Amino acid sequence: MNRRLRRELSRAVRTPFGSEITGNMNQSLASKVLFRSIRLNTGFAFALPCLLLLLLVLGLPAIMAVANSFTPIWSEVKTFTLDNYTKLLQDKTFWESLQVTIIFVAYTVMLHLALGLVVALALNADIRGIWLFRIIAILPWTIPDVISGLVWRFMYDPTAGIINYFLDRLGVQNPYIEWLAHPRLALPSVILADVWRGYPFVMLILLAGLQAIPKELYEAARVDGASVLQEFRHITVPGLVRMVQVALALDVIWQFRRFGLVYNMTQGGPGNATDILPLAIYRQYFKYFNFEYASAMAVVLAAIMIVISIPYVRMMVKRT
Amino acid sequence: MRPGFTAMPVTRRKLQTTTVLAYVILIGVCFFNLLPFVFMLSTSLKTDQEAYAIPPTFWPKQATLDAYTQVIVWTNFPRYFMNSTIVSLGTALLSTVLGALAGYGFSRFNFRGRGLYMGLVLATQLLPGVLLIGPYFKLLAAVGLYNTYLGLILAFTTITLPFSAWMLKGFIDTVPEEMDHAALVDGCTPLGAFTRVVLPVIAPGMVATIVFAFLLAWGDLLWALVLTSGDDMAMVTLGLSRLVTQFRIVWPQLMAGSVIASVPCMVLYLALQNYLVKGLTAGAVKE
Repeated sequence: MNRRLRRELSRAVRTPFGSEITGNMNQSLASKVLFRSIRLNTGFAFALPCLLLLLLVLGLPAIMAVANSFTPIWSEVKTFTLDNYTKLLQDKTFWESLQVTIIFVAYTVMLHLALGLVVALALNADIRGIWLFRIIAILPWTIPDVISGLVWRFMYDPTAGIINYFLDRLGVQNPYIEWLAHPRLALPSVILADVWRGYPFVMLILLAGLQAIPKELYEAARVDGASVLQEFRHITVPGLVRMVQVALALDVIWQFRRFGLVYNMTQGGPGNATDILPLAIYRQYFKYFNFEYASAMAVVLAAIMIVISIPYVRMMVKRT
Repeated sequence: MRPGFTAMPVTRRKLQTTTVLAYVILIGVCFFNLLPFVFMLSTSLKTDQEAYAIPPTFWPKQATLDAYTQVIVWTNFPRYFMNSTIVSLGTALLSTVLGALAGYGFSRFNFRGRGLYMGLVLATQLLPGVLLIGPYFKLLAAVGLYNTYLGLILAFTTITLPFSAWMLKGFIDTVPEEMDHAALVDGCTPLGAFTRVVLPVIAPGMVATIVFAFLLAWGDLLWALVLTSGDDMAMVTLGLSRLVTQFRIVWPQLMAGSVIASVPCMVLYLALQNYLVKGLTAGAVKE
C-alpha cells in the first residue's frame, strides 16, 4: 500500500494537473477531461447517502412538526389553523419560558466567553507544568451535561450539599439556603452550573486561536516597546476574532438546545423559574400530549435559532 | 540615560507579572473545576448515612466501595452501560461512514448545489431536538422501531452526522488533491481513490470523529427519554436521571454511577481534544 502510494505520489509530482508544459501532456489532458466529466455527478453521489438519511430522520420530522403546528389540537381532522400560534401569544407561561431561555442563553454564553478567554490567555502563558493545568481546565466539559446537573444538584443541596457547608465554615449564620428551590436563586444557580460545564469548550477553541497567532508578532511588538495591553489590543484581539465568532455561534446553538442539565437540576422549577423552552416543549409533548401545541412552541424556538445563526452558516459555507 | 540597561529589567518584570497572574488564574481554575469532581468522588465513597449527615463531611470518614457494588449489583446499571455502548457505537460508525463519504464529495467535487447542500447539512444543527421528538416518535412507532437500538441510533445520527460530515470534510481538505488524481489515473474508481488513498491518510481524523460522535450520543438524554420505554432499553444518562427523580435519592449510588459513566468520556475527550478543535473550527483558521 505504502509503496503504491509513493509511486502514485511521485507520478503525480511528475505530471502535475493544470501544467501541460511538464510531464506527459496527453495523459494530463486526458485525465483532466476525465475529471471534468465525473466531477458533476460523482460528488453528489458521495453526498447522497448522508443527505438522504438527514432528509429522512431530520427533514421529514421537521416538516411534520411544522405541519402539526398548523393543525387543531387533539383533532382527528387535519385542517389548517393558526389557533396554536394565537394561543401561544396569549400563553403567559410560554412568554415566561421564552424569557428564561433568553436569559439562560445570554448569561451562559457571555460567561463562557469571558471565562474561556481569561483561562485561554492564562494557558497560553509560558508556564511550567502547563499540560496539567490544561487537562484540569478541560475536564468539566468532558462529562455528559446530565451528570454535571446531578453533581451540582447535590452540591446545592440545602443540608447535605457542599456549598452551604462552605458558607457555614466561612461563618455565615444559618446558611441553609435552598439554592434550587428559591424562585430568585434557582436560575442563577443553574447558570453557574452551566458556566462550569460549558466554558472549557470555548476556552479550547480560543486557545487554539491564540496558538495560531505567530509568535513573531509579539516579539516585534516587544522590540517596539509595546505594553502588554497594547499587545492584547493590537495583536491578540484581531487574531482571535474568527475563533470568537465560531465559538459564539456553536455555543449559542448548543445552549438553546440544552436539556439534560436543567432537567436533572430542577425540571424547570420552582414554578417555572428555570423552565427553558426545551423543557417546556418536552412537557407539552410527553406529559400533556398536546402534540400540536408543542410543535408550535418548537417551531418558534427553531425560528429564533435559525434567525440568530444564519450569519454563522453563511460564513462557514463561504469560507470553504 | 542608558536605555539599553533599563530595557532589560523592565521587560523581565513585565513577564513576571503576567506569569504570576497566569498562575493565580490557573490555580483558581483548578479549584473551581475540580471541586465538583472531588465532591462527586468523595460522595461515591461514603455510606448512605454519612452522605446525609448534618453538617455534611467533605471527606468520607470511612471510605467504602459499597456504593459501587450496590449500583453494579442491585440496579440495572450494567444493562444501561451496555445499551449506551451499543447505541453510541452504532451511531458513531453510521455517522462516520456517511459523513466521510459526504465529506469527500464536498471536499473534492464541485457539483451543482454543493454550497447549498453543505449549508443545509450545517443548518440541521439549528433544528432543536425538541422540534423533532414528537413526529419522530410517531414515525418510529409506525414502522415498529420504537424502543429499539436502531431507532435510537437513527435519532442520534441526527445530532452527530452534521458534525461528522463537516469535520471529515475539514480533514480531507488537508490531503493534497494530487494524491487521488494519481489513483484515478491509475484506474481507481473515485470510491477506490477515496478508500485506498485518502482514508489511510486521514485515519487519525476518522478516529477523532468516531469518538466525538460516540460521546455526543453517550451524553444525550432527550432522545433516550423519548424513544425508549421500560428499564431494559434505558441508556446510562436516562438511568441516572431516573434514579434522581425517585422518591428517595441515594446519593452515594448516584455519584458512583456518575463516576463510572464519566470516566470513559474524560479519557476519550482528553485524548482527542486537539483533533476536536481542528474539526469543529475547520475553515475558521487559515492553515
